Amino acid sequence: MNVHATPRYAASSESGPAVVVSSLVRSYGSRIVIEKLNLRIERGEFVALLGESGCGKTTLLRALTGLDSIQGGRIVAPRRPAVVFQEHRLLPWDNLWRNVSLGLQAQDARERAAEALTEVGLGDRLDDWPRNLSGGQAQRVALARALVQQPELLLLDEPFAALDALTRIRMHELVRELVANHQPGVLLVTHDVDEAITLADRILVMSNGAIAFEHRAARDGSTSISRAELLAELGVISHSPN
Amino acid sequence: MLPAPSKVIRTAFKLATTGTLLNDLGVSLLRAAAGFALGAAVGGTLGILVGFSRIAEAAIDRSVQMIRAIPFIASLPLVIVWLGVGEAEKIFLVALGVTFPIYINTVLGIRQVDPKLLELGRVQGLSSIQLISRIILPGALPSILTGVRYALATAWLALVVAETIGAQSGIGFLAMDAREFLRTDVIVLTIVIYALIGIAADAIARLLERRLLAWHPNYGTAR
Repeated sequence: MNVHATPRYAASSESGPAVVVSSLVRSYGSRIVIEKLNLRIERGEFVALLGESGCGKTTLLRALTGLDSIQGGRIVAPRRPAVVFQEHRLLPWDNLWRNVSLGLQAQDARERAAEALTEVGLGDRLDDWPRNLSGGQAQRVALARALVQQPELLLLDEPFAALDALTRIRMHELVRELVANHQPGVLLVTHDVDEAITLADRILVMSNGAIAFEHRAARDGSTSISRAELLAELGVISHSPN
Repeated sequence: MLPAPSKVIRTAFKLATTGTLLNDLGVSLLRAAAGFALGAAVGGTLGILVGFSRIAEAAIDRSVQMIRAIPFIASLPLVIVWLGVGEAEKIFLVALGVTFPIYINTVLGIRQVDPKLLELGRVQGLSSIQLISRIILPGALPSILTGVRYALATAWLALVVAETIGAQSGIGFLAMDAREFLRTDVIVLTIVIYALIGIAADAIARLLERRLLAWHPNYGTAR
């Protein structure tokens, strides 16, 4: 557990929140990218993180993976998170079930991979090669590979950015379903305001290495925030009259 | 003067049934195999060390590159002084020719592995050994096999040169022996045999590529 993590990446109890970040500091040399950032994500909670390029959101996500060292603060999580990247990152020399079970320490790896692939609608392609997949299918396999680990925390680093509009809408549906079934805490890093509004229980806007704005969706699931308001928070358009 | 092809075929048949052709062929193949195995082991081991470790690169790579700059056949007189004229000298020369293509392509292959896939491996919680076996070696394999194919060609070249000098058996000995008696039919036969074995070696390398790189769009035929 947490083999690659820094000493500050600590394991918490199995029943607590998906992740608790306190006073996180991340810098490259003298340039501070994240300054005293606090963040808590519950299990089953879907958090979207918006922000313009270079605001530190990808740096935050990378820090949460436990691969990068951090310069201050604490990240407490039950286990290492699963990650889906913008590129599918499937191993071209392994067939789909071998890709999905990568890193899985289980006797029944093939069966578990088959279950996960069935969940993303590719249960009949176990022995196929990644090169025979479309972009959307490959990203579905990447989702299966993340979920087969049964993570408490799922990190999504702009996983739909490279997909066409129709495929993206289908992927949104699929992700919503999978998260509802597996109940991990989710942190979705995205540029897409509509995507954040569609998927998230909570929307964070990051700016200059800190969380500048937070919006929580209503209990009934309807999001009261408008696209224009969010774009204003992102500094893309000026504040609307209402 | 070139002998008629029919004469070469007759000679081949005669030497194979009554002469030592098959024995010489076996001796040559054995030398090539031993030299290849030795060279591949040395080149592969050094290549893996240098591919993975910056310290090994600093210690090994420059020396290897310097030796590589010498045409390996030029070192033959030195090899004969060291090892005399015998089996060891021939196997050593083949190994020398094989080491460098394997070394260079192994280092290159390991360096070319996509760092994003390595990062993924770490995210999935792979151990160092699993990273090597599941990601680095498969990723380096296309390049390593290119090295193998190139090394097979240099192995033959080295063998021809080594057997031309003071061999007591082997295809090269057959050729030099025939030269003494102006038997052009036998000389042409040995050249043809070298060519056939070269083609066979290349076919084996291609087969390996097709089998091991079935996943690769540029090699595989598997769907």
